[in-house]
Amino acid sequence: MTIAIVKYGMGNVASVQKVLKKLGYTSVITNDHSEINQADLILLPGVGSFKKGMENLSNSGLVELLTEEVLCNKKPFIGICLGMQLVATYGNEPERVAGLGWIDGEVVKVESPKGLRIPHLGWNTIKAANSDELYTNSNNRDYYFIHSYHFKAKNPKEITFTVNYDGDMVAALQKDNMYVMQFHPEKSQEAGMDLLKKIIDQYA
Amino acid sequence: MLKCRIIPVLTFNGFALVKTKEFGSNARMIGNAVQAAKVYNSRNVDELVFLDIYASDKNRKMNLQMARLIINECFMPVALGGGIKTLEDIENLLAIGADKVVLKSKIIEDPEFINEASAVYGNQCITLAIDAIKKEDGQYYLYNRLDKELLLFNFLEKLKNYNFGEIILTSVNNDGMMNGFDIGLVQQVEKRTNVPIVVSGGAGEPNHVKELFSKTNIEAIAAASIFHFTRYTPRDLKLAIQSVGRPVRLVEKDFIPEN
Repeated sequence: MTIAIVKYGMGNVASVQKVLKKLGYTSVITNDHSEINQADLILLPGVGSFKKGMENLSNSGLVELLTEEVLCNKKPFIGICLGMQLVATYGNEPERVAGLGWIDGEVVKVESPKGLRIPHLGWNTIKAANSDELYTNSNNRDYYFIHSYHFKAKNPKEITFTVNYDGDMVAALQKDNMYVMQFHPEKSQEAGMDLLKKIIDQYA
Repeated sequence: MLKCRIIPVLTFNGFALVKTKEFGSNARMIGNAVQAAKVYNSRNVDELVFLDIYASDKNRKMNLQMARLIINECFMPVALGGGIKTLEDIENLLAIGADKVVLKSKIIEDPEFINEASAVYGNQCITLAIDAIKKEDGQYYLYNRLDKELLLFNFLEKLKNYNFGEIILTSVNNDGMMNGFDIGLVQQVEKRTNVPIVVSGGAGEPNHVKELFSKTNIEAIAAASIFHFTRYTPRDLKLAIQSVGRPVRLVEKDFIPEN
């Protein structure tokens, strides 16, 4: 199988490819429409602001293409960090803009009434929100987070993991063929590689 | 629960790893940066910082080839710093897999650059290196090699108008001395910023770390000498943090990726 890592000028593509290679998967870093069409799985990484991310996707005609492949053709999709947030209905960084709208919810600022430091930055334990076998191995393990905005999901059933930082936040979501996570599995050493492998191997 | 972080720092002079004392110019040669990164990766460190410490002085860019080799060994987050002056510099470092970039000289000359960078790349990846030096008058100044005399706390006050994700706070007086952290400095800085702070300068033994983590609410330290020159490992420091009741990420086995 081939994994298309979407290149849209929002950083971090090399780390993702490095981890996929270690796991034994073939991947291409691309914004080429035919390469994305031909891939068996699409991975959207990314760091940076929501607005800039959406602009970059639409400037390269990727909004329509990705929506068709992921939402209509149900091609397996993994979104990481900004790539997770962009699937929301709306984002707010730096102002309110529409997202891809694949999973209902809004990406809002992380706030801490107790005055914890923002961004939420570092290794934190994730808790599985359901008993799906896919996720049991990652339950209660530490993953690396680095974000100032978080995904407020509309449908709690789509939440797969939560993380606690002055209250529970969404750490990961799944809707049908879409697996999206706020933390960085590609930076979470063995715990991250285990989770990516579990998800990808369903389709391998 | 969010874990306290132990972050080894690799300081690079353009050719090899070096370690300074009090930011002096007679840095000691330590060895090969790529090998060091490989060892830290296997020891499951929480993050790694790689700094090309003379890049700005010599008006050169970071050696991207070297940075790429280091990142290739790392399956944990990596912050890169040295000679960053433009958005393109940041873009280049993020593209090879940096998670954060560390800004220093540029933000003293042009603080607006902080907001320009975070507007594009998000504030979470913009880390500021704040080097504090205590002078004979007993006051803290912002150490720099730009001939600017800036009171540290005034500078931190000014930074409240800027959007960034983290501070690496280094005590220049304690750098490489291995005699413990400047706890008073840390307590002063804690009150003046709401972003995560990484404390650096002074770790020589686990007791220093215990003292810091019991007297402050700090969540991360960066260190170099203790790992280069003593038998203590990052894990030893994590156990020290745990012993004063703060959470850490302990991984039982070495992490050595195959292939």
